Order: sequence, then C-alpha cells, then structure tokens
Amino acid sequence: MPKTQRSRRSRFSSYAALLLALTLVGGLYSAFGASKVKAEDGANQSIAVKEGRQLYLQGCSTCHGLNAEGGAGGPSLIGVGSSSVIFQVSSGRMPLANAAPQAPRKKAKYGAAQTQQLAAYIQSLGGGPELPSGRLDDGDLVLGGDLFRTNCASCHNFAGRGGALTRSKYAPALTESEADEIYAAMQTGPENMPRFTDNQLTPDEKRAIVRYVRYVTQEAKQPGGAGLGQYGPVPEGLAVFLIGMGLLIVVTLWIGARA
Amino acid sequence: MTDSIRDRLKAPAGHGEQSGGGDTAQSSLTTNDFVQTDSRSSHGPEQTVPAAVPAVVPADVHPRDPKAVQRAERLVAALFLLAVVGVVGFVVSFILVPFDFGDEGFEYYTPALGFFMALALTGVGAGAVVWAKTLMVDNEVIAERHDLASDPQERAETAALIKQGYEETGLPRRSMLRNSMLLGAGALALLPLPFLKDLGKTKNLTEQMAKTGWRPGSKLLDELGRPVKLGDLEIGSVRSVFPDVPGGRRMADSAALMIRMQPELLKSPESRKDWAVDGHIVYSVICTHLGCPVKLYEQQTHHLFCPCHQSIFDATNSAKVLFGPAARNLPQLAIAVDEEGYFVAQGDFNEPVGPSYWERDDSYPDKVGT
Repeated sequence: MPKTQRSRRSRFSSYAALLLALTLVGGLYSAFGASKVKAEDGANQSIAVKEGRQLYLQGCSTCHGLNAEGGAGGPSLIGVGSSSVIFQVSSGRMPLANAAPQAPRKKAKYGAAQTQQLAAYIQSLGGGPELPSGRLDDGDLVLGGDLFRTNCASCHNFAGRGGALTRSKYAPALTESEADEIYAAMQTGPENMPRFTDNQLTPDEKRAIVRYVRYVTQEAKQPGGAGLGQYGPVPEGLAVFLIGMGLLIVVTLWIGARA
Repeated sequence: MTDSIRDRLKAPAGHGEQSGGGDTAQSSLTTNDFVQTDSRSSHGPEQTVPAAVPAVVPADVHPRDPKAVQRAERLVAALFLLAVVGVVGFVVSFILVPFDFGDEGFEYYTPALGFFMALALTGVGAGAVVWAKTLMVDNEVIAERHDLASDPQERAETAALIKQGYEETGLPRRSMLRNSMLLGAGALALLPLPFLKDLGKTKNLTEQMAKTGWRPGSKLLDELGRPVKLGDLEIGSVRSVFPDVPGGRRMADSAALMIRMQPELLKSPESRKDWAVDGHIVYSVICTHLGCPVKLYEQQTHHLFCPCHQSIFDATNSAKVLFGPAARNLPQLAIAVDEEGYFVAQGDFNEPVGPSYWERDDSYPDKVGT
C-alpha cells in the first residue's frame, strides 16, 4: 500500500510540475510577448509577405507565374485579394490536382498560418477583396435565411447541399465550408459563382448568410427524424417507396404463407 | 327455376372428424362426395339438395397441442396489449413532447408520434393475423354465388308498391303539378351552364397572360425592396430584381435576373442595342419550357441553367437556347438609368414570359430566332 501511494503522489506531482511550467511560460509570453507583437505588427506583416512569397514560389508559381502575372496553367493573381486565397487554399481547391471542369474541395495542403502568409503575399501585389476582421458567423439567422433562399439556394439547394450545373460543373455542398470560406466565396465569386459585392449584400447581410449556412448545415435538427440528405421530396418519396413497399411485401408474404 | 343451374355440393359425411395428424392431414373427402348436377340435365325433380348451405370441408384446428394453443393465445394477447401501449405512448408524446420549432427536443415530436402510431396499428394488425394463422379453424369453405336478379314475385311486389306510391301522389291526375315540376327540375339542370363560360375565349387574355408587372419607368428592386443603381454590381455579379409596383415582389411572372458582364461580350442584335446598360442585362427567370426559375448563372460561361430540365440559355446572346427542351429565348427586359442613377425598366418584357399556351401570339417584335 505505501508503495502505491508513493507512486500515485509522484505521478500527480509530475502533472503539477508540467501545469506550472506551462502557466509560467504562457504568463511570461502574454506579459512580454504581446506588446512586442503589437509593436512589430507591421514588421510581422512584411515577414508574412516574405514567407508567403517563398511558399508561392514553391507551390503556385509553376502555373500562376513567378510574379503571379498568370501563365499557361493559371490566371493572374494580381488584384484577386487575400479573400480569394483564403477560399481557394483553405478549402483545398488550390493547389489544383488535375485539370477538370471544376476544382473539387479536398484536404487543405497548407495550414492556417501558411494560408495567411500566402494571402498576405497576394494581397501585397495588387489589393483586392479582404475578409473583415472579427466573427463572421454571428449574423441575423432569419435575414440570412431569406437572403440565402433568394440569392444562393437556386444553385446550392435551400439547405446548402449543392446541385448540378452545366457540363459536369456543380455548385458544391456547403456542409464542410468554414465561415471564412463562405464569406470569401461571396466576395470573390470563385469559378462560376457570381460575385456579391458589398453594395449588393452588405457585410452584415453576408454575415447573416454565413450564419444561416452554418446553422442549416451544422446545427439544424430534423423535425422528421432524418433529413435524408435534405435533397427534398424526391429522396423522401424514394425512401418511403422502397422501405414501405418492401415492408408491405414482406408482411403480405407472411400473411399469405401457410402457417 | 333460375337456381337450377347452380352446381351443388353435398355436405360430406366426415364433417367434424378430428384427424389429429397436423397440417399435412389429408382430407377425408373423395371426389365421390361431390354430387355435381349438370346444369343442362337438372331440370327434373331429382334435385333435392338445398343450395343455401355451403359445403364444409372437415375442420382442421391447429395447433392441436394445448401448450402450443396457450402459447399462441398469449402471443395474440401480448400483441393486442402492445397496441394499448402504442396508444398510451401516442397520447403521452402528443401531450409531453415539445412541438414548436426550435424548442428543446422538438425534433422527436413527429418521430415519436409516428413510432407509437405504428406500434398501435401493428399491434392490432399483427395480433389479428397471428390469431387467424395459429388459432382459427383452417378449412376451405365454398360459398355459392347467388343470382343477381330478385325472384319474380319480389319484383312484382316492388313494382306494385312503386306504382301505388305514384298513384297516391296524385301526379297522374294533376297534370299541372306534374308539368310544372318537370319544368322546375329541367331549369335546375341548366344552372351549372354559366360556369362553362370560362372555357371560352377570354376577352382580356393579352392583359392576363402576356403582360407582367413591369411598367415603363418602374425601378428595379432587389429582394429586400431596395432600388438597384448603377455601380451596385461588379462584373460577374447577378441580382434578382422585381418591379417597383404595389405587390411587385410577389408577382411570380415579373421576377427577373440582372447580370453584369463585360459590355463587349454582349452580342445583342441591332434592335436590342439600347436594352442593356454598360454590360447590365436583365432577363426573365421564368423558363420558357415549363416555368421553373432559371436563376443558376455561371459567371465564366455566361450560361443560365434551368434546374428542372437542364435547358441552357446564353446570357451573352439574348438568352438564346443552347441546349434542352426550352423552345424560346428567355424574354428580355429593356432597361435604362434615370437621372439619379437608378435602373428603370423601359417597359414590359419583349414577349410573354413563361411556357407556351394555346392563344400565345407568336409574332412579337424584336423576336430573335433560336
């Protein structure tokens, strides 16, 4: 028994030491580091641009050109704005894997910090739309629903489940889209999506739409029990037909079978 | 005798016999037990068997094992009690489960009602079926059809009764009463005729079918009722627009889509040169095939795509049909800019919006061939 107690104490004490050390480091950083960051904000920005340029030269310049002037494989990125980079890179669409009618969503190749550096570099080239600071998904849900159904639902489905367009293109489902990607997509109009300027949909209205999309794809509960992909009445009818008719046939066979 | 054509079955001698051999027990009937009278040779008095009693094949009660019978009985009773549980559960969830949208747990309301209702219905139904399959007599009974016509005496009596009633009303004698009644009933039959008038040609058909809410000078409002002005849209933007008339945003036939693209991309014919403003062009969003909203705009290909039947319209070229079942271009709305910079309509769409209809005048001006 004493042995167990001793070992338990020593285990706890190691955790305590770790916690203490972490608190100490965190406290020291916030005490001394924060002011330093504020002071060197501009410098950090230019470092981000430099880092971003390195990333750009390695990962993007083959298609978009050494100075983002565009090339055989990709369009010029001068003036597309950091918003465009956030959308394309964090949704994994860029770098492009292969030429197809449309770039599919895939696992992001760059982390959040690297994406920000790339965005800073592209923004430094010729400006363009930028994401506003602060939360993007705290808008008015009801207004967002109205605006989404008028402006977005014709392609993306009323519950953000996407749909087909012409010639193998499609409006993607928004179920995995993050708030900044949704906002950036409205600002920049990637690929065949129309752009929605701030004169058309104010930043507050865009936030409302982001809120609605997040709600309807992540939070909304299904009053009917199962959403069946929320593709509307067709899959619901199909499910009722297949399951219901199947059950009815089984029951009929059972009733008709000789006891 | 009309019933002489019936085939007859004699009740077999072995009625009520307990065979005890389980479900595979052979019936003790032989073909000799069926006394069949041929319809063409049965007019004689030899026909003695009354037709009313259906022949009964020997009863075969199963299962015969008393324990099995008891088990089956309990199963049936349990199923019926399950129905009671279902009903109680239905009522309880109807009262207790919150059903207002957004309330905590509202998403269980419909499934709970459905589950308990299914339980109740299944309990009663399955109980009845199990009862029939395990406990009830399993034999085949032949019940003869009877003739549809009543026998002559009954018919004569009924006819006499009707005739008597007719006499008692006095109608045969009081001809004025009878004739005025016939006249009144006949007039009543004409009552629905005015309703047929809507099937005829409508006078102001053009006004109803071919015109929308757009008037010369009406501003273009967005879905929140804000007027759209020059500069709101960038190249590659679209906007849903509605006429600035009372109820305009609720007029299904007036819905339109404003698209902005590079002005040099527009291939408008000479007659439509001044219908667009600086690359802003407005089309009806009601598909000319079956009236679905054509609002899927691809800003790189400039295609307008109908989600219902995949018609594709070319927004650069007067919304000409590129593909699909639509037969006509999307109607275009000629626009201008007023002195304050707001977009206004020059008038109505250049042709009736939406699908074809019989009386559609197909000779609208500025028609662009597909």
